[in-house]
Amino acid sequence: MVNQALQIMKPRFLFPYWCRYLGGGLILAHIPVAYFGKINGWENDLHNGISDDRLFNSGHLFFMGTALLMVIGLFLLAFAKEKIEDEQIIQIRLDSLRWAIYLNYLILIVSLVFIRDADHILELNLWAPLLFFIIRFRWVMFRINLSVNGEG
Amino acid sequence: MKNNIRVERAIKNITQGELAERVAVSRQTINSIESNKYVPSTILALKIARVFEKPLEAIFILEEGD
Repeated sequence: MVNQALQIMKPRFLFPYWCRYLGGGLILAHIPVAYFGKINGWENDLHNGISDDRLFNSGHLFFMGTALLMVIGLFLLAFAKEKIEDEQIIQIRLDSLRWAIYLNYLILIVSLVFIRDADHILELNLWAPLLFFIIRFRWVMFRINLSVNGEG
Repeated sequence: MKNNIRVERAIKNITQGELAERVAVSRQTINSIESNKYVPSTILALKIARVFEKPLEAIFILEEGD
């Protein structure tokens, strides 16, 4: 009974604490890769679709490289454990996830109605939910830490 | 729901950090509970009551409208 109860409180499906740094690193690493690709004009291959449509051409590789770095980075940053992951933080996570999904689908619905460029809408959806989640979660954690420090 | 954690801590002379450590949560969570921003789970409430060696209802009190 006691073991069962402890298991319920244990945070599951989260990455270790150090993964937040790995995630941040991957997001930072995505910037020079994206910049380098832009200089070499790799992304044009993808968006214009003129050169070739083979798998793993330069445009595809560029898109894979940048998108994967960005998404995996955001994913690790969002779902790495806090130093002390307790029940209040689990609740904040759940709440932030709800916010992120609501906001994401609101933007998705609005953009489906008003924008015809389906590619960019889908690209937005690649990272928008994770970004909204991270912003909301970090903001709440920041406010909680602020009130603790105020207590002295 | 309100609680007497702050008073009980003063009686026992322990800090938020020490209480947090003894019930295995973060100091932020104890602070949120004390300022009525977070309602703890039954398990955590029982653990806190055990630290103060008092029955649950001596520490957590239902309010009208709960």
